[in-house]
Amino acid sequence: MSNVAIGLTSFPILLGLIFLRVPIGLAMLLVGIGGSYMITGSLNPMLAQFKSLTHATFSNYSFSIIPLFLLMGQFAALGGLSAALFKAAADWLGHRRGGVAMAAIGACAGFGAICGSSLATAATMGQVALPELRKHGYSGRLSTGTLVAGGTLGILIPPSVILVIYAILTEQNIAKLFMAAFVPGILAAIGYLITIAIYVRFRPEDAGRLPRVPYRERFASLINIWPVLLVFFLVVGGIYFGWFTPTEAAAIGAAGTGIIAIANRGLNWANFKQALLSTASSTAMIFLIVLGAAALNSFLALSQLPQASAEFVTSQGLNPWLVLSIILLFYLVFGCVMDSLSMILLTVPIVFPIVTAMDFGLPPEEFALWFGILILIVVEVGLITPPVGMNLFIINSMARDVPMSQTYLGVLPFVASDLLRVVILAAFPVITLFLVRLLY
Amino acid sequence: QEVTLRVHQMLPAQATIPAKAIEPWVKRVEEASGGRIKFELYPAMQLGGAPANLYDQARDGVVDLIWTVLGYTPGRFPKAEVFEMPFLVTTGEATSVAFQRFVEENAMDEFEGVKLIAVHAHGPGLFHSIDPITSLEDLRGMKIRGGSRVINDMLTRLGAEPVGMPVTGVPEALSKGVITGTTIPWEVTPSLRVAELVKNHTGFSGEQGLYTQTFAFTMNLDAYNNLPDDLKAIIDANSGVETARAFGQAMDGGDQAGLKIAQDAGNSIVTLDEAETARWKEVAQATIDNWVSQMDASGVDGRALYDRAVALVAEETAR
Amino acid sequence: MDNTMPGRLVGGLARWVAIAGGVILIVITATTVISIIGRGLIFAGLKPIPGDYELVEAGVFFAVFSFMPWCQYVRGHADVNIVTNFMSRRANAFIDIMANLLMLGAAVFLAWRHWLGMLDKQRYMETTFILRIPLWWIYASGMVGAITFIIVSAYCVARATHEFRHPEARPQMMGASH
Ligand code: NA
Ligand code: NA
Repeated sequence: MSNVAIGLTSFPILLGLIFLRVPIGLAMLLVGIGGSYMITGSLNPMLAQFKSLTHATFSNYSFSIIPLFLLMGQFAALGGLSAALFKAAADWLGHRRGGVAMAAIGACAGFGAICGSSLATAATMGQVALPELRKHGYSGRLSTGTLVAGGTLGILIPPSVILVIYAILTEQNIAKLFMAAFVPGILAAIGYLITIAIYVRFRPEDAGRLPRVPYRERFASLINIWPVLLVFFLVVGGIYFGWFTPTEAAAIGAAGTGIIAIANRGLNWANFKQALLSTASSTAMIFLIVLGAAALNSFLALSQLPQASAEFVTSQGLNPWLVLSIILLFYLVFGCVMDSLSMILLTVPIVFPIVTAMDFGLPPEEFALWFGILILIVVEVGLITPPVGMNLFIINSMARDVPMSQTYLGVLPFVASDLLRVVILAAFPVITLFLVRLLY
Repeated sequence: QEVTLRVHQMLPAQATIPAKAIEPWVKRVEEASGGRIKFELYPAMQLGGAPANLYDQARDGVVDLIWTVLGYTPGRFPKAEVFEMPFLVTTGEATSVAFQRFVEENAMDEFEGVKLIAVHAHGPGLFHSIDPITSLEDLRGMKIRGGSRVINDMLTRLGAEPVGMPVTGVPEALSKGVITGTTIPWEVTPSLRVAELVKNHTGFSGEQGLYTQTFAFTMNLDAYNNLPDDLKAIIDANSGVETARAFGQAMDGGDQAGLKIAQDAGNSIVTLDEAETARWKEVAQATIDNWVSQMDASGVDGRALYDRAVALVAEETAR
Repeated sequence: MDNTMPGRLVGGLARWVAIAGGVILIVITATTVISIIGRGLIFAGLKPIPGDYELVEAGVFFAVFSFMPWCQYVRGHADVNIVTNFMSRRANAFIDIMANLLMLGAAVFLAWRHWLGMLDKQRYMETTFILRIPLWWIYASGMVGAITFIIVSAYCVARATHEFRHPEARPQMMGASH
């Protein structure tokens, strides 16, 4: 078997292992080691590699941003920032039809601005907003659908762990990627708000209303979210203005939200421990996948599959837009069954050389930013498309009385708004890029 | 074709050494072998790990050949470190040949367990800064990026605030003011667009430049030993002083290209006069003394090594 | 089985090792913030903490390794159950045993290779850039997580075997919420 053939064969084997519920990072690790053995005819290279690879991966300065962003999200919830966000959004929007659901989206967007993870945002806002939604007469279907979709704003609005990993894989500037993500992230939130407005027009029985709140109280609750704005400004602004590296910014964010949590008396030893343990399990999950991907990607490079497939696709003279559509479709389909981080780590090293070799009428760097945002959105759609999606599971497990099928139905309109947004952003790269062009 | 050898290193394929030194070397060996040796080039750490792992990757057989910066594994090459001392380097070529001869004479024990193809150095490193540096006082408090522990030690003594970061981080850090200057040779300035980011470049009078970094191009010992004798002879013929010279020449060529870009951009390129240079040398001497005493403490005659390095560089420069 | 004596012992071990890693993460956070402040106030005579980047790398390395066993204990590693949901409970319990055995193998492999890597660093006296911390100390700190990971993974094989024999003990909802 040629090396490229070994590279190709590894994919069905990898997917087979994953579908047999072998943890994804572990499956990548096994296939990476096995594949390298097939190509070099010896276990020695991988044995030698792993004398230092674990340390190199776990101590990578760029990746150290991940546990810090996760910690920041934990502290933000303990500090009551998620509750304050929801209160402010509900005061302003709650009296409209569907307004409490809209408030939940607004609060998710605000929380997304200080949290780098979709799952953390879904879990946190689920705890805060789900009881409120149900209390005010929102159906299980609309409540869970809203929060499942709203959770993805944690990733779509910078800062975002997925973008950090994409930036490292493709050697792009994290600050510029965050800038590029900003407008599409806001569009996502607006798209969800419109979705709710349309939804309640057709099914008014799914939503209740809150009494109107006087403006004085509205402004008071708005003022209460100043810590969120401060942390967002410090973290994202600090990266953009170059006051500190992204990792340092994450540390500032974690420290800032930690101090707010202490000041708001949200932090005691018990929930501090809980915050550390949640950070621990999420971090370990991500780093096992990162380590597995390191082994797998080293094997794929050995097989020369990425170069061969890039040469193949470009030599076919296919229309770049057709190739892009196929790739995005591929991500959507796989996103229905795989988690977004594994997909990025698994596919970007192969897909990126292919698409960068094509002409989309953009300079290389702008192309990389735009492509990164498109990929980000489609893999995040994966988090909320039935049947498999972490956000679906998390929110549904919080709403004990809502059957999964109702959550599936509730999220579909939001998936539709996501798909529409992907088409618009793909057709008009300027929407993603103008902020970067303006500021750099 | 008999053997395929994998070459791993950290820079993109179009950088000076990969394009102007490793690729020509690979072509020479492939041709000399009549196509019996074939190389696969893996730039930019494609085969995994961190740059600091490269040296062991060749030693342990993860790959067959690597090119790396010796300073990425501090403490591993204590004697070879002498070539990082301030105001030792002249040209890339002369310093590389001197370094190769020095290692063959004094430090082969530090390269035990690998087949050493060649070691080499880059040309004179200098300051590239946002604000002009025309005297020692100008440097005080400036946030300057340094690339190895010796260089950072020297920067501290010169009064700068050293910021350690990989060379790839320089453009962003400069454009954001995280650093206000960097030490690098001319050779890397084009790919980092340094001449666009800063307008001031400061070098020194006399033959010697401020500093250099040291590099090694090595091969896995088993991969070498498993070659038939005639192929071994080809590798041997492409190892040692002349290979070091070729790598040093590539660095010098890169320096010329980088300098020209800065000149064309109309930047201010300052060469400090002899009196001012002497002041810098005097302060930087402490870095050398510190290194010598550390070597002495570990039972090696540091002074003798330093003097020998200086003599070899002088000899090769005069050639 | 998590409620039995061995279950509580192993769970407690995993928990405290993870918390130790988390505390180091907090220390790293504080170090970084202090260093940024020092760097920002150079004009006022303050300084960044020397070697702050390498402290972050060393601390995060220890933390991440220490988090591995906890994630395994709470069944937190990402997996895909779309296909296995259509399989019988018994088949799933069997898959659990196999997956946990593979993880145990990986844990042993990682610890073994990392140990040898540590001996290399010790032999060659490599240090960090600025602070010249012997690199093998940092490698050694990872052995805490590495060995705990083996213990926890071995326990998880036993737990999966127990759940294979007593299907009613197998939790319905798998996976920790992250
Ligand atoms: Na976010
Ligand atoms: Na999905």
